Amino acid sequence: MTVEYRPIVPKIKRFKILVIKIVFIVLGRAFQSASQHDEEIKREISSWRDGFTLIMKVMPDGPYMGLEKKNNMLEFKGSKLKQADLEIYFRNVESAFMIMTPQMGSHQAFAEKRMSIKGDLGIATAFTRALVIVMSVLYPEFIVKRLVKRVPPLTIKRAGLRVWLYTLGIVLGR
Amino acid sequence: MLPSYYEFHNPVKIISGNKALDNLPSELEILGAKRPMVVTDKGVAGAGLVKTFIDSFGSSGMTIGAIFDDVPPDSSSEVVEKITAIFRQNKCDSLVALGGGSVIDTAKGVNILVTENSDDLLKFSGAEVLKKKMKPLVVIPTTSGTGSEVTVVAVISDIKRNLKMPFASTYLLPDIALLDPRMTLTLPPKMTAATAMDAMCHAVESYINLQKNPMSDAYAVAAIEMIRKNILTAVSDGTNAQVRLAMANASTMAGIAFSNSMVGVVHALGHAAGGICHIPHGVAMNIFLPFGLEYNLPKCHENIGKLLLPIAGAEVYARTPESRRAEQTINYIVELRKALNDLCGLPMNLKQAGVTEDKLYEIAQAAINDPSIVMNPREMDANDALAILKKAFQ
Repeated sequence: MTVEYRPIVPKIKRFKILVIKIVFIVLGRAFQSASQHDEEIKREISSWRDGFTLIMKVMPDGPYMGLEKKNNMLEFKGSKLKQADLEIYFRNVESAFMIMTPQMGSHQAFAEKRMSIKGDLGIATAFTRALVIVMSVLYPEFIVKRLVKRVPPLTIKRAGLRVWLYTLGIVLGR
Repeated sequence: MLPSYYEFHNPVKIISGNKALDNLPSELEILGAKRPMVVTDKGVAGAGLVKTFIDSFGSSGMTIGAIFDDVPPDSSSEVVEKITAIFRQNKCDSLVALGGGSVIDTAKGVNILVTENSDDLLKFSGAEVLKKKMKPLVVIPTTSGTGSEVTVVAVISDIKRNLKMPFASTYLLPDIALLDPRMTLTLPPKMTAATAMDAMCHAVESYINLQKNPMSDAYAVAAIEMIRKNILTAVSDGTNAQVRLAMANASTMAGIAFSNSMVGVVHALGHAAGGICHIPHGVAMNIFLPFGLEYNLPKCHENIGKLLLPIAGAEVYARTPESRRAEQTINYIVELRKALNDLCGLPMNLKQAGVTEDKLYEIAQAAINDPSIVMNPREMDANDALAILKKAFQ
């Protein structure tokens, strides 16, 4: 009896990819909105040159989202950017799902090499701090506490930003 | 505690011991190299080490393609481009870095340009940008501190654009790290002390930060113990070859540790202070180490406590209650700094190192953007950095 060996094409993880795509849109729009209102995020991006681009991408050919600094804010570019000045990679769909859902913080993800960076490491450090602020506004403290080394203070302004993001900020990106 | 996930990578062949240098020609041959280019500096050449190096190639049948001995203390892209041109002109096929951190980083920079067949180093700056296997690179450290012979990183200044370009890629790992005690015998006491404290910081920070893992821990602990046993003799009696070799090994082990688990606030502050006030890196490490540990105490009291064993020895560790070990670790480092200051005048604070108080704010701002802080257990903001700097000032 002869055994037939066939090539195996593993299934596409459609559900997880869909979740990642949705979180990318929420996160990107939240960044666009928060970068217009939060003083600390404004300060973090102030030294970046106008037109500076960054993308977050799931390797090898997964979803990605881009941001561009324009007029002192970060503009959400969706999947329009193919390359960027700073590229933040998620090693695979599982890693991206874990970080985006959010079961794991960016520091742990970098430590476990689930995320890597191509580009200026100083700007990447500033972006990580801005990401922590956006997450602290998006998620309640009991979740954020597990994800970051120090929870940024939820000031009255930030509480207002949270309400704004959940009502119109994410939808309008303003 | 075992991390939920970790990676560890060190493919560098370590060759260590008496007359290790004489094995270099045969090692290059194994790597397929026939015409190495040597990158070094005036200090190394002046100490007679280049002559020892050339002698080791005697009767080997190998030609040294060129020797460039003018690398400045801070490696720059201009020097990298100049060496690259010589490498191409003399049809070299491999690189040997004979020197300290600047020489090693310069050789790594040259390797990027000759491998990528480019003249623009900036294009390859950043993490994981490089995609090609490089030309054979052998590193022979002439200081015991940077660990650059086993790390994935290089930092090169772009003087024209006034920026420091960091490079991080596994392709930057040298093929061989060659440790020959003859190469560090002439290192002056103060530089011996400063570079040793750099190695100490690599090991200590790698043991307490977020990316630590059992493999890097093993290298870190072994490095610290070896430094503790040899550092004072290396400074007071530099001609002791056994002690010099031990320090070279400790530095390499510390390099392997931090290359796999990264560093933390001590390095972030050190890089910033070095960039703004031009304090030698090892001096900055010596100044900031106890303050960095003190800052991290609330987050990693237990891990700092465990370091008491390699830093102070088994007897001290056994008689110190567990709850006091972390503080004792810091005390022992403070004592070590005092001993080094007495022996060779190694500065213990920023004022002694020539920093003026008006620079502290600028250093704090630069430190929080240094990539080293990402893996530090505690999130350091500009206010925290400034508070540490004020403590370290005098």
